[in-house]
Amino acid sequence: MAKNVDEVIEFNNEDLFTVIGNSDDEAEKLESTPYSYWRETFKQLWKNPLTIICIAVIILIVIMAFVGPLIKQYKIISAGNKTTFDKFDDYLLPSFDHFFGTAGGGMQPYNGQDLWTLVWKGTQLSLLLGTVVALIDTFFGILIGSMWGYFRWLDPILIELRNFINTIPSILLYILLMQFLEPSFWTIVLVLCMFGWMGLAGFIRNQIIIIRNREYNIASQTLGSSSRAMITHNLLPYLISVIVTVISTAIPGAISSEVGLAYFNLSFKADDQVTLGQVLTLAAKDKWNVYPHLLLAPMVVMAPLTICFFYLGLALADATDPKNHR
Amino acid sequence: MATFLIGYTIIALIVMFVIFVILVSRRIIFRNNAKIQSIFAHPLLIYSLKRIGSAFISIMLAISATYLLLRLKSRNSICQSYVENWDKLPYDIREIRCDNVMRNLGLYANNFWEVIGQIFNYFYKILPFPKTLCREDAGTEPIYDAFNNLISYVKVHDCRTFIIDLGISYKMASGSSSNYVIDIIFGERMMHSFRIGIIAVVIELAIGYPLGVLMAKHKDGIVDKIGKTYIISIDAIPGVAYYYIWQLLLVYLIGLPNKYESANFVSWLAPALTMGLTGMAGIALWVRRFMLDEFNSDYVKFARSKGISENRIMYTHVLRNAIVPLIRSIPASILGALLGSFYIENIYGVPGLGEYLIRANESNDLYALQGIVVVSAFISIIAYLAGDIVTAMVDPRVSLASE
Repeated sequence: MAKNVDEVIEFNNEDLFTVIGNSDDEAEKLESTPYSYWRETFKQLWKNPLTIICIAVIILIVIMAFVGPLIKQYKIISAGNKTTFDKFDDYLLPSFDHFFGTAGGGMQPYNGQDLWTLVWKGTQLSLLLGTVVALIDTFFGILIGSMWGYFRWLDPILIELRNFINTIPSILLYILLMQFLEPSFWTIVLVLCMFGWMGLAGFIRNQIIIIRNREYNIASQTLGSSSRAMITHNLLPYLISVIVTVISTAIPGAISSEVGLAYFNLSFKADDQVTLGQVLTLAAKDKWNVYPHLLLAPMVVMAPLTICFFYLGLALADATDPKNHR
Repeated sequence: MATFLIGYTIIALIVMFVIFVILVSRRIIFRNNAKIQSIFAHPLLIYSLKRIGSAFISIMLAISATYLLLRLKSRNSICQSYVENWDKLPYDIREIRCDNVMRNLGLYANNFWEVIGQIFNYFYKILPFPKTLCREDAGTEPIYDAFNNLISYVKVHDCRTFIIDLGISYKMASGSSSNYVIDIIFGERMMHSFRIGIIAVVIELAIGYPLGVLMAKHKDGIVDKIGKTYIISIDAIPGVAYYYIWQLLLVYLIGLPNKYESANFVSWLAPALTMGLTGMAGIALWVRRFMLDEFNSDYVKFARSKGISENRIMYTHVLRNAIVPLIRSIPASILGALLGSFYIENIYGVPGLGEYLIRANESNDLYALQGIVVVSAFISIIAYLAGDIVTAMVDPRVSLASE
């Protein structure tokens, strides 16, 4: 050890260094690139090949939802209230004419239609519905959840409300609400949103209660921050990874809820408004054990779509957590 | 008479007990008696009473809200399903019969205050104390005129002593021995749901826990990756969709019977496995997560530095701590088994409670729907309370006393 030190001292001559002088411009420069939260997040995200596959699958399905029905020009024509379809024989197996085959005789009113067209039309509406419901849910979930966690006096009221909603079976609530609402896009959004925000708000509330009494929050409060500033500047930025995850997993959640509605025949009733859930439940009530393609067709689209959204949510949760950066 | 005497005595004893507990815990009586204090001012007891008290409010709210929502079902749609030959009848006769039906259902009201009165009447019926109720409409018999047209119903008086009364199920009379909703729910329906549900809970716990432990033990190993894929799939894909995948696997590939039969045990397996293999994903996920959280805690590092074997740390230290938050959910899943699942019961034709809800809705059977709400509300409240109490019993760090 001692010898090494001697060597270092021995070589510590001016040849090892060159004087570069001092300049003000150089002094201001940073050698490392400045830390940017979102850049770091995306860097993390691209590292995982599975995430890229998921994003690719989602984009592909979104594009196919609009392009798919155009590939085979089997029409769903609605003129006024009457809707006419291109009808074929029931239960046709997948072929070049019909990539997914045709719908079965039990799938009224879509019997004998091209499943390829039907499934992509359904994907369009399901995606739109899922996204709208997820956005509204997250907006109210975050708004109410952050206030719920922050203001203590709100806690008993909202907990009672949550207990009250949880005690009634959810499907009965849907049934009761849908009975005096005509099924249309916005009424279904309303019904799905009415209870969807509750879960998210409860989740955000728990997270906020955990961090509410950290030192930096107490310090901020002592310095006189207003409640709004506390929530928007101290609490929500801390929860950004949670919130991003919640939005991403809310979309498959909303699509699933719509399937539940469709199963009990509470979803869209108009012939030209078809969702993936309707195709799936109609197929499930038909002879799918003899003609499995009826069930497989909507499943082939729905399963990758929901799984990819969900996986993307989990990947975002890891990527947006600053502890994992660098 | 004897039922009344026993019933009221029990009610009186319960009320006195509650008052006694409150007085003792407030230190109004027996202030200096340590023994009585330690028994009756026990945090567990006080906590349970408080929870039941506050839960009563939300039950009342839930019942009132569903009652009002059920009342909003349009009059015609209700009458259509109760009056025979609705479409063929002339308007005025139709209206008279419709009024009769609404009166029979106890739904006839001229103004809003009568509706409120009906809600309170319903509360009176479901309060658990013995009461004799006479039904004018029980076992109504139709009278026909000379041309075989239905004129009206003869009212047959039927008196019965109830502890809890959930009204009469008008449309389910065929195929069941009684048309009292309470008999149908507890006597006929719940048995089937519980049978399937309890097997499912056993499967969930028996597979979910070991899977979670294995996944945590070999993190990022092959078991972990397969398990994670399974859990993500179950979480992401809509339930209706994978129930059919399970049906495909269990029924059409393995060859389990598709239709549920009460007498045949093998036919219970397909619905129970469908439910259990789905529910197991959630349990495995949480076991894994809690165990991984515990791995980073100080006591594990200490145990490791003392040279205790990994297996011993795993099973005696980590597992015991990680399992505490999960034990809370066990009473809820056992009691939830009583209520059944709408989808699974529908798919396999199980005549359980979930299936009853759907059938009751289709036939506008209002009291059946209301009864299911009451039963599920009570069950969920008991389940939460039981979960808290079990957690407090298992984990010495948790106490129920409010500070």
